[in-house]
Formats: sequence, C-alpha cells, structure tokens
Amino acid sequence: MKLDFYKQKNSILLSIFYLTALILGITNLHDFGIHIEEKFHRLNGHYWLNYVAEQFGLVDLQRITEIKINNISDYTLSPVSHYNKWGIVLDLPTAFIEILFNLKDISNIYYVKHFLSFLIFLISSYFFFKILDKRFDNFYINFLGLFLYVSSPRILGDSFLYKDVLFLSFFTISLYFFLEAINKLSIRNLIYFSLFNALAINLRIFAIFIPFFFIFILLIKNFYSNIFLENYKKLILYIFSLTIFTYIFWPYLWENPLQKFIELFSSLDYLIKLKILYFNQYIPNEFLPNTYIINWIIISSPIFQIIFFLFGFLFYSIRFFKRFVNIKDKLIYNDLWRSKKEEKDFIFFLLLISFFFIFIFFNATLYNGWRLVYFLNIFVIYFGIYFLYISLKYFRKNLLTKNCIGFVIFLAVSYNIYSLISYHPFQSVYFNSLLSERLKNSFEGDYHGISSKHFFLKISKIDKREVIKVAVASHTPLQRGLEGVPPVLRKKFEIVGQEYHSADYIYKNNISEVNSKLNKKYEVPKNFSKIYELKINKTKIYEVYKLNS
Amino acid sequence: MKSFFYKSILVFFLFLAAFHFSFGYVVKKIKIELEYTLSKDKLEELKIKIREEMQNAINKENYIKPEDALIINQFIDKVRNDLEKNK
Repeated sequence: MKLDFYKQKNSILLSIFYLTALILGITNLHDFGIHIEEKFHRLNGHYWLNYVAEQFGLVDLQRITEIKINNISDYTLSPVSHYNKWGIVLDLPTAFIEILFNLKDISNIYYVKHFLSFLIFLISSYFFFKILDKRFDNFYINFLGLFLYVSSPRILGDSFLYKDVLFLSFFTISLYFFLEAINKLSIRNLIYFSLFNALAINLRIFAIFIPFFFIFILLIKNFYSNIFLENYKKLILYIFSLTIFTYIFWPYLWENPLQKFIELFSSLDYLIKLKILYFNQYIPNEFLPNTYIINWIIISSPIFQIIFFLFGFLFYSIRFFKRFVNIKDKLIYNDLWRSKKEEKDFIFFLLLISFFFIFIFFNATLYNGWRLVYFLNIFVIYFGIYFLYISLKYFRKNLLTKNCIGFVIFLAVSYNIYSLISYHPFQSVYFNSLLSERLKNSFEGDYHGISSKHFFLKISKIDKREVIKVAVASHTPLQRGLEGVPPVLRKKFEIVGQEYHSADYIYKNNISEVNSKLNKKYEVPKNFSKIYELKINKTKIYEVYKLNS
Repeated sequence: MKSFFYKSILVFFLFLAAFHFSFGYVVKKIKIELEYTLSKDKLEELKIKIREEMQNAINKENYIKPEDALIINQFIDKVRNDLEKNK
C-alpha cells in the first residue's frame, strides 16, 4: 500500500510538472521571435509535400503546394533543391497541417510549428526521465534530471525553434529504445529503436553512428552468451527496418536511394564555411580548436550543471579505469560493467566519448556556438545526476552532508529558474553568470535572429511614420523577422540591407561572417547615433542606431 | 579473446588520437598559418597599416631625415641620368 501511495504521489508530481510546462509554453509562445531559417523550413516542407503528392497522384494537394512554393520563394532563398537534403520530420507534417487547417497568417503558421517542436521536446523529456528512472532508484533525483533536461536555458530557448533541439529530442527517444533493446532484444524494442533512430538520422546524418554503437555493445555481450547466433533473425530484422524507415521518412532517397545516400556524405564538404566570433577573435570555422565544444558547453550551461557533470564524469572515468585494468577473460564479473545499471553508465560514457572524438577527428565544421551538438546535453545531465545519486548514497547516514547536498540541489534548481526568467525570451543566447560582460560579448550572440521581432515592435512604438527604412549592420537577414510581427506593421518597414545612406535606422547584433574588425561592411556610419541597446544579464542582444537629424 | 578485443580497441583509439594530436595537429597549424597569411583579412590589415603609416608621414613635419633626403635625391638623380644616357 505504501508503495502504491508513493507511486501515486510521484505520478501526481510528474503530471503537475508537465501541466505547468505546457501552460507556460503555450502562454509564452508568442514572446519568442521568428528565426532566420523558418522561411526555408516552410519551403522545404511544401517542396517535399508537393513531391509526395506527385508520387501518389494527389492532384489537388500538388496544386496547392505549388502555389505555396511560389508564394514563399523570394530573393533571399536559394532554390530548395540546393538544400533538399535536410530532413522532413517536422517540416512536411506542418506543411500538411498548414493546408489542412487553412492557416493564412504567416506568424500563426510558424507559431504552430514552434508549439509542436516544444511538445516533441517535452515528450522526449519523459523518455529521458524513464532512462534515469530505470538507472537510479531515487525518484527525486530522477525528477531533478528531468527538470534540468527541460530547464537548461539554451536548450529550452531553442526547443521552440525546431532545429537542433528537435534532433536532441529524437536522439533521446532513440537512446531510450537503444537501452531497452540492449536490455531485451525483443522485436518490439528493435522496431521502435529503428524507427526513432531513422528519424534521428533524417535530422542529423551523424545519428548513423548509433547502430554501430548498438552492434558494438552486443559484440561485448556476445563474449558471455551467443547473442548473435541466438538472435540473428531479430538483428537482421532491425537492420532491415532501420533501412526501410530511413528510406520511407526521407523522400530525398526515394529515387536512387544508394547513390543519393552516398551523395549526402560528399555534400558535407560543402557545409557552410565562415568566420565566427570566438574569444573575441574571428576564426574560420574549418579550423576550430579541439576545445571548442568543451568551452562552449562550459560557458553556456548553468554552472551547477557543469560542476555536477565534471564530478560525475570524473567518478565514472575512475570506475571505468578500475574495471578496465581488472578485466579477466573468463570471469563475467570482471568486465567493463558489473550490473545492468552499470551497463547503462558505460553506454552513456561510450557514446559521449565517441561522439566527442568523432567531431574532433573529423574536424567538424561547427558554427553558432555548440547548437549542432546540443544533443550532448543529455550526457551532461546524466553524469550530473550520476554524481548526485552516488553522493547521496555514500552519505546516506550523514544527515548534515545529505542536507548540504539537498541545499546545493535547491540552489541549482533556483538558478535555472532565475536564468530562464531573466533571459526570457532570449534563453537561446544564455551565458552562465561566471562570465564577465566582456567575455559574454566576445562570442556569437543572437545567430538565430530572433531579436528582429523585438526590434520591429520597438521601432514601431517610437516612430509613427508610414514607411521606415531599416539597414542591417550584421550578417542577419532581418526581413525574415518581419513575418513575426502583425501584418499591419510589416508594410511599415522597408529593409535596405547595407545601404546605410538610405536608412532611417540601423539594426546591429554581433553576428558577422567576415572579420568585422578589418572588414568595414558592417561599420555603422558616423551620421548615425545609438538610441537603444537590448542587453540581458550583460549579454548584448542588439543595438539600434538612428540617422542624426 | 575478450582482453584482446578491448586492447585492440584501445590501441586503435590511441593510434587515432596520437595521429590527430601530432601529424593532424601540425597539418592544421600549417593550414591556419596559410589561411591567415594569404587571407583577404590579412591583405585588408596590410592596407590599413599602409594607410596609417602614410597618414603618420603626412602629419610629421620632417618625415625623412635631411641626410637621408640628400642620399635619396642623389640616388634619384643618378638613376635619372643613367636612364637619360641609355635612351
């Protein structure tokens, strides 16, 4: 009876958490701006919906999508065929929703997409909670893990933007079924694993490594039992279903699948190459230092999370080393792990180390901070929770130390809540508070261009002219942000690019594809004066300059 | 077999790491140097430096020392005469 009561209490707590998150998400949805790639993603969705309609002979749908494609296309977008390798996981369904519900206003179309993205993120957080729940037998610690997963400021801020956090979400769900399949090689687990793995591959090609890690773990387990021999039919089914799901969810592969799949890897050579602001230096993103990812994670994650992670990772590394040097060929007990729970730790350790070194060895072309590898955040939180769990277990009889740990957890939770509130709605440019103002502004800031909505609303309040000309002293296609403001205001603004001489106002953030210390293309002319600057916790978001009268 | 498997993985990983942090590191360093030396930014930096130096020269009352000016004048005259002779 007691157990049931606790279970019930835990379920209530989880329900309250999700209900609160959902209410907060819905009520604050419109505070977030429109990011610069929304237009492309919308076009991508309609492009592939058009293709699917054509393949299945859905003439009406094909006609509607053709009209949509023509309406969306403008001079700022390259033909979609240049970028058509991007996945369709969210783009295509939302294009269909747009047509099905006859959504007319562009900002509504985007906000529906933001909401769905946030919803998927919340669903993935439950899978993360389940991973923790099966590893650590402490509900409150697991609940803390769930809270940190959802409340990491950069991750939460980006969860509405259906790009990198969407991949994180599918990666998490895929990882849950990875662990389930390792635990029990049932057909159900393997099918779910292949399904979510295929969706993750669709979003980021490097998820293709996950099946290799899966086989690797099975290979280790095969030393004690004939897993491959006993389950070869299931494993063939897994590889087959992964291939089929990847194919089905990626219309790009429907014609010439093998050739197009190989082309995907060659197209990685043409990834965007530009200069990025890093420690106040403009460096080409082809030559990033090996410490790039680590530095970014440290400076832009809440400090408590980082400390928990460092200790957790250190503790596990020591344990791993001890296990490694004591391996004995004939003893099951003397292996890299000693229980099902430790096996999970090892898988997380293996994935984190492997992905990290894959990015370093292949000299990955990263940009915009560490957003392309946001999925590493689940490893950060996992090892953080691992540290807290073993600390509480170790000090379970020492009430004072236990209370101290409880107090630190309370501080960590409060700190995340404070950060989320103070950065709202710019959580995606969060830096932790240990950084000085100078340091915070020596990295790329609002690369998504979400501040453009804030900018247009601000200017429309202070300037009542019918037409306002705005120049942009940054590498940000500001005109795309106009789609986030009410239709009446959109007509008011005319974007003139870098033609400063014809502008009334200049918008400036610290995003530049060239070394702006030497290249003067984004230098604000002397006949303009700064009238406004949006700073959050000393992080500069954008500046407004006005033509001197 | 198990130990052999783990040791092979470890050796493979250490080999990759050693390669990346030695040979790979040197190649990357050379590429970075080349990029910085031949980049548009570097040329831009050079142009800015030249402009600044010219501006400094204009601002100074005597940019060239009198004895240097004398030598340069004599040298120019010498070159001009030689060119005239061999026209």
